This record gives sequence, structure tokens and C-alpha cells, in this order.
Amino acid sequence: MRHALTGVFRAALLICIPVVLLGCAQAVDRRLEVPADQVTRAAVPGVPLIKQADFHCGPASLAMVMQWSGLDVTQSEIAAQSFSPGAEGTYLADMLGSARRRGQLAVPVTGFQNLLDEIAAGHPVIVFQNLGLNFALKWHYAVAVGYDLEARRIILHSGELDRMVMPLRLFERTWRRGDYWALVVLPPGELPAAAGEWDVLRAAEALERAGQLRAAQEAYAAGAARWPDHWLWQFGLGNTRYGRGDLQGARRAFLWARRLAPDVPEIRQNLAQVNRELGV
Amino acid sequence: MRFATQMKLAATVFMAVQLTLATQTTTAARAEMLSTGAAIDRYAAYADREFLLGELQKKEIRDEIIAQGVDPAEAEARLRALSDREIASIISQMEEDSAGAGAAGAVVGALLTVFIVLLVTDLLCLTSVFKFTRCATR
Repeated sequence: MRHALTGVFRAALLICIPVVLLGCAQAVDRRLEVPADQVTRAAVPGVPLIKQADFHCGPASLAMVMQWSGLDVTQSEIAAQSFSPGAEGTYLADMLGSARRRGQLAVPVTGFQNLLDEIAAGHPVIVFQNLGLNFALKWHYAVAVGYDLEARRIILHSGELDRMVMPLRLFERTWRRGDYWALVVLPPGELPAAAGEWDVLRAAEALERAGQLRAAQEAYAAGAARWPDHWLWQFGLGNTRYGRGDLQGARRAFLWARRLAPDVPEIRQNLAQVNRELGV
Repeated sequence: MRFATQMKLAATVFMAVQLTLATQTTTAARAEMLSTGAAIDRYAAYADREFLLGELQKKEIRDEIIAQGVDPAEAEARLRALSDREIASIISQMEEDSAGAGAAGAVVGALLTVFIVLLVTDLLCLTSVFKFTRCATR
């Protein structure tokens, strides 16, 4: 094979690149780098501290974030929809699911930069940490509510320790062992600051699928305001309005979607169906 | 998924036009609402593929691919031959691998160039970095 003989140097290059790229030999501080214009310190006001019941750090974290957003819900109510007694814990998927069943927009985010951006935007962020080591696991959910880059620390609301101030380096290690998993839970009309469009779109659609049509409709409308050129927001808006019996509203959304993307067959089909039902 | 949303949107619209030619005639007859979820799945997959193909057109990436002794046209053909599932896996592995490296979910700049080149060399059996690429010539 000719391609295989392109030279020792190139082969060496190709071998070296993945090592750097996949972060195997990375110093810890590299992971904590932020752009020069990053807000130095930020804090999210009004997040309640909730003492967790045994093993209920997941439900307690969700309760803190949902109460912050104005929802009247308790730790034990959330636990009934998310906690797995057999595992003595709460699975990541159940964290998402229980937030969505309460009509909240739940969007996973990852990476240090996105975490800081969300906090700076005034959104508390649920973070998944391993406070122990890989051979001695101690999984934990906490709510990140503030940070200070100068003092190199992050402020967490932890159901176990109340308000916890953690050095950034230590936080990075515990969060890395949790695979940098984080979750933004917001009222559906408010969008995460750092999540990408497709992630928000999927989170809104998950609300629709969970039967939370009103919440889904709000999320689609907010998405349409932020990303006005993308037809899928109008398409989701049309489908949720249709699901709620608002045929005229659905028609308006599908017409708008068709203006944005004249040739998408899905839009045409749904518009045709709504027109038929309206007798237009 | 944060990176290059605009490119993806452009690609989405482009693909939508192409799709219509094939499906326009059949849709009018059916009477049912198509779900948002199915539409998202379908167009996100096209957007990802078009994003990768778009990257292949960039000069710095083309130069690097040629420097590896790979024909860009062949690279493009291999990329088109991947399934939606494989494309999705590749994109998510790129994002995962770069998340820990400070890029935080957004694959950009030099890192993205390296990813694309490695993806191409993977497809041509010169490297084996991505979990879901198969070596196509053997």
C-alpha cells in the first residue's frame, strides 16, 4: 500500500497527535484555562440550601435548582420520581427525566468553560462529582452557584455539607472523575447560556415527548427567538400547538417554518394536515 | 453540540432542498403529523455529515490530507459512505475527547483540523483513533 509508506516522520506525527489530543498527558491546570475576558467572579443569588436525606444528593440538588426557579417542589417529591433505592443513588438519566416531568428544561452541559458561562449568566448548575477515588467511589451531586477565578475557588451547595467552598483544582479532579457531567435545569422559557442549539432543541423535544406540551411550547418559542433562522423551532412550536388543540396557532408556526425552509417535506406534510383539519 | 451551528444550519437547508426532490410527491397523500423528534434526528444527522464534508474543503485541512498522501476526493467518498450512526459517534467522540482539553465541548481551530485529518486517515486505514470508524479497504 502506497499510503502506508509516506515516511517515518509522518507516522511519528500521527502517533504523537492522539496522545496530546486525548489529554492523557495533560497537566491539570490546562483544563482550567479560560479566555482572558472571562468574568472573574460570579454568584447566582437565591439558590436555597437543602439538607439531603440519606443518599438523596440527586433529589436535593434538583430541589434546590427547581425551588430557585420558583417551583413548589420538595426533595422527597422529586426522589419519588428519580431515586433508585436499590442503587442508593440517582441515575443521571433519572435526573434529566424527573426535571422534565416537572416541565423544566433540562440540558446537559460539559466542560469547565461552559460551567463558568452558565453561572455567570445567573444559572445554578448541577455537577456530578466523584469525591472519592476511582477505586473507592463516592458519587455526589452538588449545585455550583458561584466561582472566583482570582481566589481559584468554586462555591457549591452540597446537600451533605451545606455551603462548600472548593479550590478549583480539587473541584476539577472530582468533576473529572464524574466525566465532567453537569446539568442546567431552567424554567422552559429560559435557555442555557452555554449549550449549543441542537442540545437545547433536543431538550425541548424531550419535554414534548414527556407530554409537557405547554413547557415544550415555551421552550420552542424561546429557541425561535434566539435562533430565528432555523425552521425546526417553528416546526416544534407548530407540533406542540397542534397537540394542545390550537390549530390556528399551529398553522401560523408551520407557515413561518415553510418561509424559512420552503422545501422541507415534514413542514409541508404537517401544514397540509392542519389545513385539512381547519378546512382551509 | 456547540460547534459551527451556522455551518450546520446552512447544510441543513441545503440537504432539505435535495430531500424534497425525492419525497415531495409522496407526502401529500399521507394524512398524519410528523413528530418533532424524528425531524430533529433526521436533520441533525445530515447537518453533522455536511459539517464534516464542509471541513474537508478547507485549505489547511486539504493541505494536511494531501501531505499524508491521501487523495481528498477519496477522503470525501469515504466520509459519504459512513452511516448516520457512525457520523454521530464520530462527532460525539470529538466533543468528548476535546472536552477535557480545555476546549469545553466546542471543537475548534487547530484541534478540529487534527481531528478531521485523523478521521480521514482512519478511514483509509492509516490510523485508528476513532472508535467507530472501520477501515474501509480491507
